[in-house]
Amino acid sequence: MVTTTGLPAAQINRPRTLLVGTVFGCAAVFMGFVGIIGIYVLQRANARTAVPEVEWFPEGVIDLGPSGFIFWTLVLSMFTVQWAVQAINADDRTNAYVALALTALFGAAIFNQLWFIIGDTGFALAASEAQFLFFVVNGTFIVFLIAAVLFVTFTFVRALVGQFSPRRAEAVSSAAVFWHTVVLMWAVVYFLIYIGK
Amino acid sequence: MTMTDSAPTITDSAPVAEPASAPPPEHAPVPASASPRATGLFDALTTTDHKRVGRLWLRSGLVMLLAITIIGVVVRIEYITSSPDSVFGGINSFFQYFNLYRIGLALLVAAPLFIGLATLVVPMQVGATNIAFPRAAHSAAWLFMIGAGITVISVFAVGGWGALDGVTPAQRDAIALTLVGTALVILSLIVASVCIATTVVSLRTSGMTLLRVPLFAWSMLVATSVWLLTLPVALANLAVVYFDLRGGPGKFAVVEGSNAIYTQIGWLLEQPQVYAWAIPVLGMLGQVVPVIAQRRHAQHIVAVALIGVFGLLSVGAWNQPWFQGPRYDEKFVYSYDETFVFIVFGLFAALPVVGLVAAGAKTILGRPPTERMSAIPRLLSVHSLAALGASVLLLAGTVAGLVRVIEPWDLGGRTTVTAVMNLALFASVLAAIAGIWFWAPKISGKELPAAHGRLVTLKIVAGAVLLGGADFVSGFFEAPAFAYSVATSSAVLVAESPHQDLIQAMNVIAVVGAVLIALGVLGVFAALVKAAKSKELTDDNPYGGQTLEWATSSPPLAGNFSEPPERVVSEAPLLDAATDTVNEIGKSEIGKDT
Repeated sequence: MVTTTGLPAAQINRPRTLLVGTVFGCAAVFMGFVGIIGIYVLQRANARTAVPEVEWFPEGVIDLGPSGFIFWTLVLSMFTVQWAVQAINADDRTNAYVALALTALFGAAIFNQLWFIIGDTGFALAASEAQFLFFVVNGTFIVFLIAAVLFVTFTFVRALVGQFSPRRAEAVSSAAVFWHTVVLMWAVVYFLIYIGK
Repeated sequence: MTMTDSAPTITDSAPVAEPASAPPPEHAPVPASASPRATGLFDALTTTDHKRVGRLWLRSGLVMLLAITIIGVVVRIEYITSSPDSVFGGINSFFQYFNLYRIGLALLVAAPLFIGLATLVVPMQVGATNIAFPRAAHSAAWLFMIGAGITVISVFAVGGWGALDGVTPAQRDAIALTLVGTALVILSLIVASVCIATTVVSLRTSGMTLLRVPLFAWSMLVATSVWLLTLPVALANLAVVYFDLRGGPGKFAVVEGSNAIYTQIGWLLEQPQVYAWAIPVLGMLGQVVPVIAQRRHAQHIVAVALIGVFGLLSVGAWNQPWFQGPRYDEKFVYSYDETFVFIVFGLFAALPVVGLVAAGAKTILGRPPTERMSAIPRLLSVHSLAALGASVLLLAGTVAGLVRVIEPWDLGGRTTVTAVMNLALFASVLAAIAGIWFWAPKISGKELPAAHGRLVTLKIVAGAVLLGGADFVSGFFEAPAFAYSVATSSAVLVAESPHQDLIQAMNVIAVVGAVLIALGVLGVFAALVKAAKSKELTDDNPYGGQTLEWATSSPPLAGNFSEPPERVVSEAPLLDAATDTVNEIGKSEIGKDT
């Protein structure tokens, strides 16, 4: 027989396992993205140092309008996803459904907009280091965007079948955390690559 | 309230625990006893029991350890011959196997062994019924096996991380396959790290604050956090190289006549990142010291802090060629060697190790003189010797790293770099072996043979000292870590140095070291076979452990604990039971929200 303190066992009320795991996962995902952005930014700096007279991207190829639309749409989606969290916590199912559906819709719209941008530039993967890295950065973002849309959609379906309540809303919060991470990624891309091109 | 004293069984299938009296908390993993249990291959493919998942990791890591150490012996023999044609038949093959040895030792051996131990032990240490996200942990184990298999097979198919002397289209495909395999391995380590870190943060039992977490679990939290911050960066590097290889401009995946692909992830084996694989060595040391002394760790909080500091000093994703200016000089020495941050990290990495060794010595020697003698048999146990040996190797590695960053000696790109890598990574391997011996009762219900274990420890310590020491000395005599001449398609493995005779002598010593290590690894397998044949079961707590995993049966029940662990009031909950005053401390804590 092994005893410890002889005290009664207490109810564990710490978990929030999914949320903590999501935070760790988001940290990893963000670091991977930062790695790619770091390569992009430093290669661009090296290229400018090596051959200052050659532009990284040809003038006028990247239109700031669509990328700006994406940024502001994502900012809007941060509110809708938090609206979903708030609605679930308040046991307001109707608002939760609307907020989650809107967030997923915004994600799909952003995907469409990004696809347009990539096609509009006319870049080719093997054309130059700059164009290759442009594809890699945007492609990586698209992968994470799709993951975020799937996460929100899955959460939406679970909400529809009644799996959440104010006491069991962790999955919605986790989806929101991942969504915010993806928005943060685009903020980095938008300011460092599109505006600072 | 008791913990458990259920009778152990000799089968791999652990008995099913009685249902806990208290209802499981929201989102807590459901004990494995809740569902009918299967055995064999089906069980291996479907299990969600962290102990079985941990054993999958350990088996994979041990098989890779055997393969990598044998490759290491062959690589070191090639150094003596002065030409890569002697054994490998060409510079490309030598380059690929040399890289397989280096990358494999970290990604295919050290990390999976620690993840296996952590998956198996950490949930019990924190008083949880299972690991967080058990299905993800299980998937990660299989993903690792698939990734490791692809990596090794693609290297056998003349793939690898680049080529130095021309490639055929088929070899180009094999290189791409190696990149995919490596990416899968890294992905599996990331997923497993999330599971382990979440377990420590979220599933601790009542009263167990982060400062009361056992030191091994704490070191795994620090290690997995560092891995989560750095491995995704390596994954990003691999992605860029892969897509460049598959249709990019060819700037990042320079396949022919360059080691550019390897160097994109070579920072995983360079200072300071190479120390990240050795963070759990310090946890292992902190775990066995109180068992040797049979008292509390004298400096538990200091140990927690030092492990954290060592983790911070081992973050090295910033230290890679793409984040620098010019990639190499003509000697293939990275230009970032002399950066201020690099030097600071190198200088201070040894301090936490020294501090933890000193804290351990204080704990052991802090007993009254009359009681010190009683600690000697415990000091000679396998887990103690191996953990202490691993700490000495890590100390040697960090000191070698300290010397390596001192600028006037200009040791970058020389065998000193390999010395630091070998010492740090074999410290990890030895610490993992210490863990396997220490927690064998929880892994299989049996103790591993002590005689085998002491011999294994001796061989690996001696082998790593010879291997690392020889490379360290050679570095001072201008021996390059890897020298070759691409222009003439011929390799010269011994530098054109005026000290060639001395370097050759050091290479012979290094071969002896590599052979000793391989013999030590074979000894591990011999011990495992012997233990598997034995029917003798061990006690629940044969070494006087003080943390919660020793409150389970050997082997543990499905769900680990027959009843929820009692409120923890210190870092040594089982030792608390022996002291009358602890109950008073504990009562004063009732009601506090931890």
